[in-house]
Amino acid sequence: MKILIVDDSSTMRRIIINTLSRIGYTDVVEGENGKSGLERLGQGGVEMIITDWNMPEMDGLEFVKVVRGQNPGIPILMVTTNAAKEDIVEALQAGVNNYVVKPFTPDTLKEKIESLLG
Amino acid sequence: MDQSEIDALLAGGSKSVSQSVADPIPPAESQEPHRDPSGHVIAELDTVTAVTERESNKVMDQLDQICRLVTRQQELITGMMAHAGSQDPGVQQAIHEVASAGKEIQDKVFEAMDLMQFQDITRQKLERILNHLRQIHDYIVDLLGTGTKSEGKRASISNTIAQTGTTPDENKAHADAVIEAFKSKNKG
Repeated sequence: MKILIVDDSSTMRRIIINTLSRIGYTDVVEGENGKSGLERLGQGGVEMIITDWNMPEMDGLEFVKVVRGQNPGIPILMVTTNAAKEDIVEALQAGVNNYVVKPFTPDTLKEKIESLLG
Repeated sequence: MDQSEIDALLAGGSKSVSQSVADPIPPAESQEPHRDPSGHVIAELDTVTAVTERESNKVMDQLDQICRLVTRQQELITGMMAHAGSQDPGVQQAIHEVASAGKEIQDKVFEAMDLMQFQDITRQKLERILNHLRQIHDYIVDLLGTGTKSEGKRASISNTIAQTGTTPDENKAHADAVIEAFKSKNKG
């Protein structure tokens, strides 16, 4: 399964990639904001998206809205520092399937990914 | 921040530290027109976050290297176990203890990697502070009717970072409850 990780922090992308590899997902592509995420997505093969919210150029919310317009079925997990109830609801309304607040544990990421794929 | 960056920062006009110690005379730069203190602070904080991210990646490189070494050690242990001489119960016991210690090291390294999330969280908290500084700066510019307004809010800034904790999964139960309520509402 190919997973697209979109986050402007290279450290955070590495943490997510490490966590994914520990739970058996090693086929990963990366984007550093919504724009580059869309470019990666356009190259094909992506079966799941993990995206941050707060990014320059195109933020995660805008990215999710564009993706949902093109691909209603792809599972999207938002991993962000935004913890307020209204943010979570806004993300879900935009089309996010599940939501993780940073900092997270590997068990949480695993649980959320499995719930999306299950 | 390394020495070359400190030098570059000082050359760029950030002389407050050295001058407060050695030079009581106001700096010449303070008389330049249209210096934007907000922009200066923003540039400095941008440098801080960029350097922190770069250094965090160096720490991650080291942790990756430790992981690779432990994996190599585990492969060597597996190879040792195939040798005829290692079938002695005492040797087997020792090998298992070494393998177990290796696994513990790897788990601790993974925990350390996960803790590096603080870098991204701290960066976003700094950006939130910058946003406040911009608002205060723009308010003062409006109040005085002079000066240049800041560039405005940047796309990457969170409005709600203040609620973000530093303990892993601190907000998990809250987020899960909101998700459940949203899904139930949409079902009904």
